[in-house]
Amino acid sequence: MSAVFTIAWRDIRATFASPKGCAIFFFFLGFMGVFFYNFLHEFVKLTERAPMYGGEAPTLEQLLRALFYNLHFILVLVIPAVTMSSFSEERRNQTIRLLQTSPVTATQIVLGKFIATAAILAMVLAVSAVYPLFIKAFGNPDGSLILTSYLGIFLLMCAQLAFGLWVSSMTTNQFMAFLFTMFGLFLLLILNWLAPSFNSGGLFEGLLKYIASTDHLDVFFKGMLTVNDVAYFVCFAALFLFFTNVVLDSQRWR
Amino acid sequence: MIEVSGLTKRFGSVQALRDVSFKVERGQIVGFLGANGAGKTTTMDIMCGCIGADSGSSKIAGFDIMEQPLEAKRRLGYLPDVAPLHMEMRVADYVTFAARLHKVPTLQLRKQVDEAVERLSLGDVRHRLVGNLSKGYRQRVALAQAIVHNPEVLILDEPTEGLDPNQILHIRELIKSLAGQHTIILSSHILSEVQNTCDRIVIIHNGAVVQQGSVEELASQAASGRIYRIRVARNVDQLVPLLNTINQIIAPRVIDKINCEVEFGLSKGADEQIVDEVAKLVVNGGYGLRELALKTHSLEDVFFQLTH
Repeated sequence: MSAVFTIAWRDIRATFASPKGCAIFFFFLGFMGVFFYNFLHEFVKLTERAPMYGGEAPTLEQLLRALFYNLHFILVLVIPAVTMSSFSEERRNQTIRLLQTSPVTATQIVLGKFIATAAILAMVLAVSAVYPLFIKAFGNPDGSLILTSYLGIFLLMCAQLAFGLWVSSMTTNQFMAFLFTMFGLFLLLILNWLAPSFNSGGLFEGLLKYIASTDHLDVFFKGMLTVNDVAYFVCFAALFLFFTNVVLDSQRWR
Repeated sequence: MIEVSGLTKRFGSVQALRDVSFKVERGQIVGFLGANGAGKTTTMDIMCGCIGADSGSSKIAGFDIMEQPLEAKRRLGYLPDVAPLHMEMRVADYVTFAARLHKVPTLQLRKQVDEAVERLSLGDVRHRLVGNLSKGYRQRVALAQAIVHNPEVLILDEPTEGLDPNQILHIRELIKSLAGQHTIILSSHILSEVQNTCDRIVIIHNGAVVQQGSVEELASQAASGRIYRIRVARNVDQLVPLLNTINQIIAPRVIDKINCEVEFGLSKGADEQIVDEVAKLVVNGGYGLRELALKTHSLEDVFFQLTH
């Protein structure tokens, strides 16, 4: 286990030794800030106008949900940037030789890389909590909804990271890793909308919708926690970590 | 200590290795000699478990690298041809990282890192970033990474590549000082380096081992087909038929008419006293002996013969 943390700790330090770590924080929080400002502005406007038109004022929960949905979009851009270098850079600089000739298993390497990327993004997520906490400080939204939403986002993030690591392990070109991861995650995001055009109402549509991440995330954003949806993300992450492990281990006998 | 048997490896249409086998005893330094692209790095990569072989096996300290990789790798220090350096790390941090990966107990971590840094005289740069160091320093950092956990077996792929003469000398001394407690394989395409540091030599050409033995064995093999050069004052044309009459002399020929130089070889197992006879012949025949010399023979001849 110590080998896993040795590898993870080195990766975390390396990320923050370069401008990369700061850039991730900057873009993530910057975009979140812009969205937050925009949504809040809209929210206040609608709340003011609601009595005039006789409609219902929007709720704080709706504001939060809008915010979290956008987090999903930002992650599609940020995750590939974090995972692209994990293996491809090491393979390109040949530093992977150091890991390959050390008494550590492929599984330990994969877990180390996964924990490193997950820890970096968990830090970003933790800092991004400033926006929901702001709402909490000045209003009274459902606190548990914030918690389940964050849990959902965290699980989604782990699943996406596993996918990104798998792509990264297969190429020595960081740009290719970035591109394929981004399109893969984007496809996963829009699969929900694409599904009906493939096979409307059929079994296949149901399957595609199940694979898509959006529906599962909705449940968390509604403040619910179900075994079904937690299992979806955990299985997703485990599957792609397993794939990464296979890719890495296969280099040993190929 | 190291046992490589029957390694073959094919990259697409290129046959990189054909049935490579050799053994290294405990405490020996073995030179792995070959031209560029002969298969040195491929063999070493397979020995360290970085890539797999199509067939054959490699054992480190009795542990098969494919079957028991963790046990084998625990006893192994590897310096690849491209140094596996993390440019954004500090020297001491990097060496510590390598030590941790190789399961050096936490209590001894500091001591062993200090020792490795000391041995490669990296004390002045231990807090500098690896990326800011010169090539020679980087190579030494990479070497520190390989020896920090005191491995029983050291595999060094062209350890002195890109160093200046002083540093080469330093690294050679270091490698020699490591012998005995460590078993070392080092690859090189520079003969003199191998000749100076190694006990045994394995010569590889086009992916196959063409010769192996101790430095003396190989050198004496080169000597067995010795060639002499003789320079006389006059009548060089008549000297050749005369030399032909001596039994154990083969293929005498004029190589330089103007300077009156003749070259001749001694057949295998020939007595060196033949040379006395030749000298007598020349002096008595009134040719005027000016020079009689053994054409330099060394490992280079063996290497040249085997790889051409």
